[in-house]
Amino acid sequence: MSNDRYHTVGKSILRRGAKERLTGNPIFCADMEPENALYLKAVRSRHPHAGILGIDVSSAMSVPGVVQVFTAKDIPGKNLMGIINKDQPLLAEDKVRSLADPVALVAARTPGAADLAAAAVSVDYDPLPAVFDPEEAMAQDAPQIHAKGNVMVQKKVCRGDVTAAFDKAHTIIEKTYRTSAIEHTYLEPDAGIGFPDEDGTLVIYASTQNPHYDHKEVVSLLGVEDHAVRIIQAATGGGFGSKLDMNVQGFIGLALYHLKQPVRYVYTREEAFLATAKRHPFVIHMKTGADETGRITAMQMKAVCNTGAYGSYGIAVASRAAVHATGPYAIDNVNLECTAVYTNHPFCGAMRGFGTPQMALAHESQMDLHARALNMDPLEIRVLNGVKKGTVTATGQVLTDSVGFQDCLTAVQPEYEKAMKGWLSEPTPAYIRRGVGIGGMWYGIGNTGVQNPSTARVAMDREGQVTLFTGCADIGQGSTTVLSQIAGEALGLDAMDIHVVVADTKYTTNAGATSASRQTYISGNAVKQAADKLADVLLTEAVNYLKIRKSDLRLENGRVFDSRHPEKQVAFSRLAPRILDKGGELSWQGYFDPETVPLHPDTGEGIPYSTYAFACHAACVEVDVLTGETSVCRVIAAHDVGKAIHPENVIGQICGGVAMGVGFALMEEFVPGETISMNDYHIPTAADMPCVIPIIVEASEPSGPFGAKGVGEPALIPTAPAIINAVTHALGKRIYALPASLERVLDASIASGHFNNCYQES
Amino acid sequence: MQTIDITLTVNDQQQTLPVKSNDTLLEVIRDYLDLTGSKEGCGEGVCGSCTVLLDGHPVRACLTLALEADGCAVTTVEGLADEDTLSPLQQSFIDHGAVQCGFCTPGMLISAKALLDENPSPDRQKLRQALSGNICRCTGYAKIVDAVAHAARPESGCPDCHTKDSGGDHD
Repeated sequence: MSNDRYHTVGKSILRRGAKERLTGNPIFCADMEPENALYLKAVRSRHPHAGILGIDVSSAMSVPGVVQVFTAKDIPGKNLMGIINKDQPLLAEDKVRSLADPVALVAARTPGAADLAAAAVSVDYDPLPAVFDPEEAMAQDAPQIHAKGNVMVQKKVCRGDVTAAFDKAHTIIEKTYRTSAIEHTYLEPDAGIGFPDEDGTLVIYASTQNPHYDHKEVVSLLGVEDHAVRIIQAATGGGFGSKLDMNVQGFIGLALYHLKQPVRYVYTREEAFLATAKRHPFVIHMKTGADETGRITAMQMKAVCNTGAYGSYGIAVASRAAVHATGPYAIDNVNLECTAVYTNHPFCGAMRGFGTPQMALAHESQMDLHARALNMDPLEIRVLNGVKKGTVTATGQVLTDSVGFQDCLTAVQPEYEKAMKGWLSEPTPAYIRRGVGIGGMWYGIGNTGVQNPSTARVAMDREGQVTLFTGCADIGQGSTTVLSQIAGEALGLDAMDIHVVVADTKYTTNAGATSASRQTYISGNAVKQAADKLADVLLTEAVNYLKIRKSDLRLENGRVFDSRHPEKQVAFSRLAPRILDKGGELSWQGYFDPETVPLHPDTGEGIPYSTYAFACHAACVEVDVLTGETSVCRVIAAHDVGKAIHPENVIGQICGGVAMGVGFALMEEFVPGETISMNDYHIPTAADMPCVIPIIVEASEPSGPFGAKGVGEPALIPTAPAIINAVTHALGKRIYALPASLERVLDASIASGHFNNCYQES
Repeated sequence: MQTIDITLTVNDQQQTLPVKSNDTLLEVIRDYLDLTGSKEGCGEGVCGSCTVLLDGHPVRACLTLALEADGCAVTTVEGLADEDTLSPLQQSFIDHGAVQCGFCTPGMLISAKALLDENPSPDRQKLRQALSGNICRCTGYAKIVDAVAHAARPESGCPDCHTKDSGGDHD
C-alpha cells in the first residue's frame, strides 16, 4: 500500500528518546541514585542441587554498613514466581536447584559492605546428585528437581496419517540436530531502583519488558494490595526475552517493604550471566518424507529442550516449537512433539523466537537435504512446499490472509541467483570455498493459543492536547514511536505532537509483554481502537459545529475539516471544551486480543495465532578450509511484516536479527560454570557482520493496525539455517550442531576432504 | 580509604577531585561528576560502553584508574553536543536511525569520534574495525556504520548495503 495515503504511518520519523540516549541523559536505572540508597546483593547457591539445612546470617549482619540480611522467611507473601507456571522462589527455602539460585539478600550502605556480607552468609547445604542433560533427566532414576517430576510439559501437534505417508514417500530423511544455550547479552545489565513515595507506595524503576507482570509478582511476593506497589519501566538497554522474568524487581520490593528506604540493585555482568534466563538448548530428532516431485508429505519431530531449574517461559517455548516445527511449509501428515525438561542447568526462558530459531535449523536443513536428494534447487523446493493462501497448517488452521512467504522467496530470488551464478564462480584462494544457503521461516504473532490482550488509552485535554497512555515497554525496538504513529494516524496528528505516558503501572493499563513480536500488532490495535473512538467523538462534534456530514470530514494537523472545502474547519482545541462542557468523553480505552483458539492437548488442533510473519534469508559465506573460519559476506533478508509502520525501525530489527543469527550460527554457546562473563562469550562485532540487504515485503494483514504484523523475532530466525546451509554448500558436508564453531567447521572440512586437498596442494 | 587529589579537564572544564587509589576513571566520571553517559556494560574492558577520550585517545574508563588520568583531558559523550545542538556525528546517528536501546551509543560515539579525529575519511573496512571494540546487540551495526560513514563524508550519500562497502562484495 502506498504510504502517500498516510499522514505518518510508513514514515521513518524521529525515534522517541534518541536524543536523550545520544547525549548521555540519566535514563537507565544504573544512572539513578536516590539519596541514601542502600545497595542490594543476592547470595547465590554454591551447589547446582542441594538441600538447605540452615542459613546463618549472624556474621553477615556484623559486617559494618550492613542494614539487613533477608532470607525466604522474610517474604511476607507467596514466595513463588513465574509468568506461566509458578515454580521459582525469590529466595530458596528448602533446596537450591541451580548455581544461580538466590538464598539470601543483603542490604548495605555501600557496595563493598554488601559484597562482604554476602560472602559472610553461611549456608549449610546437603548436596544432592545433579543432572544437566534433559534426556538423562527424563530417566526414571534421575534426581528429581521439582516434586512434580522432571518433565515440565510435553506439547504435541498431530494431523493426518504419518505412518501411511512415510510408507508412500519417495525419499525419507531422518536427522538429529542440537543447539546450544545462548545468553541474551543485552548491553545493559539488569538493574532497578526503588523508594517509598510520600503516600508510602513502593515505587520501583526497573529495566524490564513487562512492568505489569512485575507489578503482579511483586504484589504477590509481598502480599500487599495492588496500589501499594508501582512499577515504572526505566530506559531498558535491550531485553531479547530475558527481561521478561523478574530479575531485580522482587529483591527491590522485598527490601523496600521492610526497610522503607531507597534501594538499588545493579547486576554486574557476571551476575547477569549467572542469574538470568538463557535460550533453551534443544535436541531435535526430525524425520521427513517427500514424494518424487519434492513435495514434503510427512514430518515426524521429537524434540527435548532443557528448561533448567525453572519454567520461566519454557511451556511457551515447547508449544511454539511444536507448532512451528514444519516451518512455513504445507505438510499434510505430521506428528510433532516437544518436551521441556527440568535439570540443574541455570533456568532457560524466553529468547527472541521461543524455540522457533532452534526448529528452523532442523526444518531448513531437512529442506536442503531433500533438495539435494532429488537434485532440486533449494529455492525451488521451498517455492514448491511454501505456504500460500488456503494452506492448512499442522494445527488445522487455514491461512487466509497476509501469507507473504512466497513473496519473500520471490524477493530474494534475484540476489540469490546472482550469487549462485556469478559470485560462486569467481576465483578465490585455494583455501577459501564459497557457499550460498537459504533459510525460510514463519512466526506466529503473539502468544500461542492463549489470550494475550493489550489495552491502551488515548485522551485529549481541554486544550486539545492528545496523550497516549500505554503499558507497552519500549526496550530499544522503538514501540513508543510506532504506537504514537498509529495514534497520530488515526487522529491526523504528527506522532511527535502526541504526549506519551509509557509503562508506568500507576498511569497505564496492561499492554502485556514486549515479547512474541506482539506489540505493533496487538498494542498497535489497542491504541488504534482508542484513538479511533476519540476521533469519532471529535468528528461527531465537528458535524454539529460545521454542519457538514461526517463522511465528508477529515482529521489533519489538529483540526477537522471538510474534505471538499478545506477552508471549512475547526481546531481540536475548539472542539474539546465543547465536548467536555456537554458531558462528553475525551478519554478512551482500547482493547485488542487476537482471535485464537486454544490448542487441543492431544492433537494440537486449534488456531494458535491470528496472523503470522514470514521471511526468507539467503546467506553467502566463505569458509577457510584450513582453519574452519567462516566469514558471512552477505545476507539478503526479505521479511513480510504486513505493513512497515516505521521502515527504519523494521530495517533496524532485521539487521540486528541477522547479527544475532550470525552469533547463533557460528559463535555463541553458554556453558554453565565456564561462561562467566563477556570475556568468555563472544557475540558478533562490527567486523564480523556481513553486508545485509533488507527487503520489506508487505502482505497486508486485515486485522493489523494499518495492515501491520511484527518483525522483532522473525528477523533472527532464518539467519542461522541460511548460514549453515551455505557452509554445507561450501564444504559438501553438513553440520548438525550449533554453533558451527571453528572446530566443527574444520572437522567438516577434514571429513569432506577439502582440508587435505588444499593442504597437499599448498 | 585515603583520598588523593587529581586534576582532570573533563569536557573542557578543569576540576580537582579527591579520589581513592582504587577508583576507576569510570567511577569518577559517573559517581563523582554525575556524568552518566559513559556506561558500565561489563566492567572488564570487553563491551566498550565506557569508552572515553583521554587526551584524545579512546580508553576503557572501566579499566583505567582515576590516578592514571591525573592531569589529562577527558572527553565523554556529554562533551560532544554544543548545548542543545548535537554534533554532526550525533546528528548523523539520528538521521540514520543508529540508536536502538542506546546503551552502547555513548561508547560508540566516542570510538567513532576518536577514529574521525585521526582519520577524517576512513573507508568502511577501517571504520568497522575501529568500531569492533564496541559491542552492540540491537542494531547489527549496520546503521551505526552508515551514520559514522556519512558523518565522515556527508557527500557520499547512503549506501544500499548495510555494512560492507557500498556496491557490495559480489554484484
